[in-house]
Amino acid sequence: MNGNEKRLWKLLGDWNISTLTMATASSAGMAVEVAKILGYPVVMKLLSPDITHKSDVGGVILDLGSDKEVNDAYHGMVTSVKQHLPKARIEGVVLQKMAEPGLEVIIGAKLDPQFGHVIMFGLGGIFVEICRDVSFRVTPVDREMAREMILEIKGSPIIEGARGMEPADLEAIIDVITILSSMLEKNPDITEIDINPLIVYSRGSVAVDARMLVR
Amino acid sequence: MGEIQLTLKAIFEPESIAVIGASATPGKWGYTILKNLLCNGFSGPVYPVNPKATNILGQICYHSVLDIPGPVDLAVIVVPISHALAVTEECGQKGVKGIIMVTAGFSEVGGEGKQLEGKLMGIVDRYGMRLIGPNTLGVVNAHAGMNASIISKLPAKGGISFITQSGTLGLALADWTMEMGIGLNIVVSTGNKANVDDVDLLEYLADDKQTDVIAMYIEGVNQGRKFMELAKGISKPILAVKAGRTRSGSKAVFSHTGSLAGSDDVYSAAFKQAGIIRIENIDDLFDSALALSVQPAPAGNRVGIISNGGGASIIASDTCERLGLTIPGLEPGTRARIKELVPKFASYSNPIDTAGLASYETYNGIVKHMLRDPNIDALIVIYVHTVMWDSRIPANAIVDIHRGRCLKPVITCWLGGAGTEAGIDILKAAGLPNYPVPERAVKALASLVKHHGFLEKVKE
Repeated sequence: MNGNEKRLWKLLGDWNISTLTMATASSAGMAVEVAKILGYPVVMKLLSPDITHKSDVGGVILDLGSDKEVNDAYHGMVTSVKQHLPKARIEGVVLQKMAEPGLEVIIGAKLDPQFGHVIMFGLGGIFVEICRDVSFRVTPVDREMAREMILEIKGSPIIEGARGMEPADLEAIIDVITILSSMLEKNPDITEIDINPLIVYSRGSVAVDARMLVR
Repeated sequence: MGEIQLTLKAIFEPESIAVIGASATPGKWGYTILKNLLCNGFSGPVYPVNPKATNILGQICYHSVLDIPGPVDLAVIVVPISHALAVTEECGQKGVKGIIMVTAGFSEVGGEGKQLEGKLMGIVDRYGMRLIGPNTLGVVNAHAGMNASIISKLPAKGGISFITQSGTLGLALADWTMEMGIGLNIVVSTGNKANVDDVDLLEYLADDKQTDVIAMYIEGVNQGRKFMELAKGISKPILAVKAGRTRSGSKAVFSHTGSLAGSDDVYSAAFKQAGIIRIENIDDLFDSALALSVQPAPAGNRVGIISNGGGASIIASDTCERLGLTIPGLEPGTRARIKELVPKFASYSNPIDTAGLASYETYNGIVKHMLRDPNIDALIVIYVHTVMWDSRIPANAIVDIHRGRCLKPVITCWLGGAGTEAGIDILKAAGLPNYPVPERAVKALASLVKHHGFLEKVKE
């Protein structure tokens, strides 16, 4: 992990945004040992300071269920990356316990030159990428504003439990938005940040992946 | 009054004005501005300044601002750019407080112009002056009879002040308001905003007694955060058209947020949070400003509609629904009283359709009962003109009620062009905003409702 990534996950931890336990391994054998401790199924992600878009080069493998699968995935991943990007440094892999399925949302922020930090909220997947169904607020964002911006998107009935799903924990989403707002106030050098996805359950949420740019 | 307001007072309410670069040649801006200042009832002295003339438009022309015997509050500068810095320096020496720099060729052209603007600001700051522009088309104060601009005619006096970043658009709109009979107070073309910017102007207009509504045409603001904080504290309605509705954000695709948060989305969010009513189109800006300048904000979004024709009231109802306004049912008592006033086959539930009837008794009675109904927050009164009626009769019928200054807004729509003018004049004189089509009436009402929402939730 580069310094920026380390800082990002430390920040999320320090501000009590729940994340999945993760551990690094620098060999196939070590990866299996780590996976056993985390508990199956796990996710494996490449650890390289030279690659930002890991999934493009086979650097992310989901849902590994056994020692053998972890062992094979490690070797496969290293081979694949070496083929695609022979010059990239490979430091090993990060292992994470697979998140339980839930409602995927995205919470992000961007530093606007005129208005400062602006927070974005949307539902994950196509809702953000294709439908652009997102809402924005300039920080600081309090709980009432956060609630408003969540309910403002067209897909908000999905949060309240459409399609036979249990309602997602609205208060938990509000928690993350307001925490992010405070976090940005204390860290003005962050120019872009995405928590994507944040998986929301009927109670609580977990930040599965995140990325950040600083100036 | 804060320091900012005091210094800006010299620009918007000066006691004496010099026009530096005044010209005797019709068609030149130095001529137009001098003539506009002399011919619109500005009460203080107006001094032409031009080293090549001794007399312009019957006024003694001074070679330099320094030669003027009395004090000068405001200098309007219309000189070639090569002289701009020198005459500004002289203004400083003279003790001029405010400058309107019409001269262009500064930061808007980049490169050397940018450096010149830096030097200009150096002079302005050294003498503690305030400056509108450069590259402005001027300032108008209708109540003071001051037209320090190239707008051809002084707008009618009213409660709307207009800040425009586009000079030419500002002029076109000012002309348009005259045609529509909308009253203005301050019109200011901001130009490059090198010194006086949106934040200063908002602060000034918030305290200005003649300004009831602030309308803005914005391409971009300089101090976004400060602008928001200030707007939040202003209870007067602020309406803004923001140009440049680009969808995409930054080109880099590092994060979803980075690529989705275009500057337009950010402005929308910021305006909403600051209680600024964002208006989509230029033509809606003054429609809404007019309604806000003469009518109270309603307590809610429940609208009563009255019309003598079904079609117009259906359009009005549809537009209401689209804009988040509701058409509630009426109290049984109201319905019963209205039933007495309309023909048997007419609709006496909201929206009321009088089935053609536009008599004094019908319009007067219905409007009175609807205004008293606790389910109704605001009224749209439509009259579709036909040869059978005189458009003045229904106009008088509602003006007679409205004279009592009710707390619920009434918006009118006298539809049908020729023949409606006499009725519309009566409505206008009574402070009832009238629109030629139902959609425009409803849009204006929606802005009133929005402003009420901001007063309840956002404004401090």
